[in-house]
Amino acid sequence: MGPIYIVLIIIIIIWAGIFGYMLHLDKEIKKLRKHFDQVKKKGRN
Amino acid sequence: MTKIWQFALFLWLTVVIILAFLWAPLAEGLGEYTRIIYFHVPAAWLTVLSFLLGAIYSIIYIKKREIKFDLYAESASQIGLVFCLLATVTGSIWAKVSWGSFWNWDPRETSIFILLLIYAAYFALRSAIEQEERKAALAAVYSLFAFVSVPFFVFIVPRIYSSLHPDPIVNPEGRINMDSKMLTTFISSLFGFTLFFIWIFKRKIDLIGLKLNLKKMEL
Repeated sequence: MGPIYIVLIIIIIIWAGIFGYMLHLDKEIKKLRKHFDQVKKKGRN
Repeated sequence: MTKIWQFALFLWLTVVIILAFLWAPLAEGLGEYTRIIYFHVPAAWLTVLSFLLGAIYSIIYIKKREIKFDLYAESASQIGLVFCLLATVTGSIWAKVSWGSFWNWDPRETSIFILLLIYAAYFALRSAIEQEERKAALAAVYSLFAFVSVPFFVFIVPRIYSSLHPDPIVNPEGRINMDSKMLTTFISSLFGFTLFFIWIFKRKIDLIGLKLNLKKMEL
């Protein structure tokens, strides 16, 4: 396997890592929003 | 952005990376390092786009005096600074190959370095002021002045002084001198990176919304 393929694989792994991290952040924001809505509801009651 | 869009974006940019490495032809004289163009130029483009957004939100803040617009401007500038650093690093790698050293103080390199300093000062200014309203007002005005320098440093300075930097993609005659395969990969890369930027910026806005709502509740 030539060096170009190694660089290609490394870049795809980095991109997949960034993408995975973004998905993780999305999940965290959703969780926070849910939690926030629940606290808001409790506050009203 | 829904899950389908996110995975479509993942596939899109993965295909762009593969095209850049295995399909697009190499430019004369640059060899394998031609591939940096598909990452360096989109990073530079997103730098300008982010700083532009920062300036627009600063204007909106000055008009409406709502703190959320100041925070949007800050977020846009943060993303802009990251992409500016990426453009500098990728450009520096390119410089090593074509000019022989990582840094030559070429007009293009000097102008991007000054731009980095200008936006670093924006964040230094923000962190130096504690009172929220005052910080937002001063940062908004500074952001506007900072953005005025962007077209000057990115587009004008490198054209006034003779630079070793390759011709811009759209050359002074208004033409695009690029092989069709390279152009396809390049445009696809620009499109993918722009979508990725929208995703990051949208998440930043979501976080700001949550933060402001939490503050309201605390009050």
